[in-house]
Amino acid sequence: MALFGRRNILLALLLLGAAAPFFVNSYQLFVANLIVVFVLLSIGLNILVGYAGQLAFANAAMFGIGAYGTGLLQVHFGLPFWMAFPLGAVIATSVGLAISLPALRVSGLYLALSTLAFAEFTRWVFLHWESVTFGAGGFKTPPVSFEPLPVSKPVGLYYLSLILATVLVVLAQNLVRSRIGRAFVAVRDGEVAAESLGIDLLRYKALAFGISGFYAGIAGGLYSAMLNYVSPEGYDLFQMVLHKAMIVVGGIASIGGSVLGAFAVVALLEGLREVKGVQEIAFGAILVVFILFMPGGIAAFLRRKVRGWDEPVHRAGPPPNPDPAAAARPASEAARP
Amino acid sequence: MSGPLLALRDVTVGFGGVTVLDGITLDVGRGEIRGLIGPNGAGKTTLLNVVCGIHPPHRGDVLLDGKSIVGRKPSAIAAQGLGRTFQTSQLFRGMTVLENLMTGLHRRTRTGLLGAAFNLGSYRAEEEQAEAEARKALEFIGMAEFADRPGTALSFGQQRVIEIARTLIGDPKVVLLDEPAVGLSLNRLAEFDRLLRRIRDEKGVTLILIEHVIRLVMDVCDRVTVLSTGRVIADGTPDAVRNDPDVIEAYLGKELRARHTAS
Repeated sequence: MALFGRRNILLALLLLGAAAPFFVNSYQLFVANLIVVFVLLSIGLNILVGYAGQLAFANAAMFGIGAYGTGLLQVHFGLPFWMAFPLGAVIATSVGLAISLPALRVSGLYLALSTLAFAEFTRWVFLHWESVTFGAGGFKTPPVSFEPLPVSKPVGLYYLSLILATVLVVLAQNLVRSRIGRAFVAVRDGEVAAESLGIDLLRYKALAFGISGFYAGIAGGLYSAMLNYVSPEGYDLFQMVLHKAMIVVGGIASIGGSVLGAFAVVALLEGLREVKGVQEIAFGAILVVFILFMPGGIAAFLRRKVRGWDEPVHRAGPPPNPDPAAAARPASEAARP
Repeated sequence: MSGPLLALRDVTVGFGGVTVLDGITLDVGRGEIRGLIGPNGAGKTTLLNVVCGIHPPHRGDVLLDGKSIVGRKPSAIAAQGLGRTFQTSQLFRGMTVLENLMTGLHRRTRTGLLGAAFNLGSYRAEEEQAEAEARKALEFIGMAEFADRPGTALSFGQQRVIEIARTLIGDPKVVLLDEPAVGLSLNRLAEFDRLLRRIRDEKGVTLILIEHVIRLVMDVCDRVTVLSTGRVIADGTPDAVRNDPDVIEAYLGKELRARHTAS
């Protein structure tokens, strides 16, 4: 394994993350927690868009449903965070499964439009169903307590996020290299061919939507607890742009890339926080630049330049070190069917 | 089990008033290599799509191993043992050759969401076995050295052969090959001919060959069915079909038929 390979870098990031609460101030800890939450969002979206190839725009809505679900279950039913949080993720997962149904009928741009419509509808419900969602002003959620553990709320929540994200990154990495990950990629690269090999489109599209709903739901629950506050504007179209930017910048269909994309996007978001109105323009520009000039994102760049970033499966494009013997072979033999 | 492996009974398909397939009845026996030929627009590809479950027939029935497969999803029909390849290369672009073949094993592997995500022992064992089988399948087509290449880096002809292997690895009973010899040069054709026979003899797979390269069809097929304007106009051994006046007419037209029989 190369020194600067994927595994080592991710491990170093994890160690840095684990040590962070000992040397950062409370704002930096908040940003670190935001990165961890965005890692979850990025991975969920990348499984759906990057691996299964479903151009869906509902991830911000899923994120919101996780946050609202977790928050409202605490406020209306008095459930403790430790019950409301997993239930919020279950709700987001179920909604994800439900919106996979149109994905069987429509694809490409039409799927993008229908999921976008769903996302706007969700936001409309957050805004206008005031008796339940408290409307545009949002609502406060009860603070999470980590007793009897001797940690403050921000530190406890940070470690909870970090542990969950670490586990879910590993699970996602295992999943995409399995037969299920291959089925996702098959659905992405050729639906008819996938079906001809016995891969059930409904099953795998629904699975991808459900998984991305689950990841976004977990992220939403953690985010609501971080802010102690839930309101509609956190889950709007700009949020969706951020999610897309993470996977485009990090690398479509790359788990390692999803993690790096979350770092890059949150860093930029925080860096530009001082300059009002520039965030939207900057993210639009970044999306365009990456799509035009670096379609594989950071992950593809690292795959080309650094040893050990070659993901075990689903490589796109030519291999990093083409076999010189193959190149030297006479053309006639290379063309042998 | 006796009886035909794949049977079409009075299959009729029309698109907006145009009858594309008109009462096709056809039996393909076990272990046969069947040719399906016909001029452009004869309905060959439509027939294939009906059998695979992409178009439902308006009338008639399709039986695989005695069981009707009409109205089932393409993936369910594939799982019952019907494989196919495509006219254009349909290798999955984001995968290596080996991964493409392992995807072909989908219906024979069982690992579920949790087994894969938690990297359970049963999953790892299945994965190892799948990889070994995929490598064996590559050896069968003589392309073992291409395992770790991206599929799209290979020539068109190579991609087509890998696609055949990807279908075969799923252990189908019958495979429909849609113009597999397109783009093969003449000397590759003989090699391809041998490959088809080996598939039938060593794997016991029945093959249906939809093909424009008449030489290949006549060389390798046990029986040939000729379609023209949605009907079966001839069905028999290659020699019988070659000399059938209706077939000559369908391919060459009436006048040339007269000249052909005169000479």
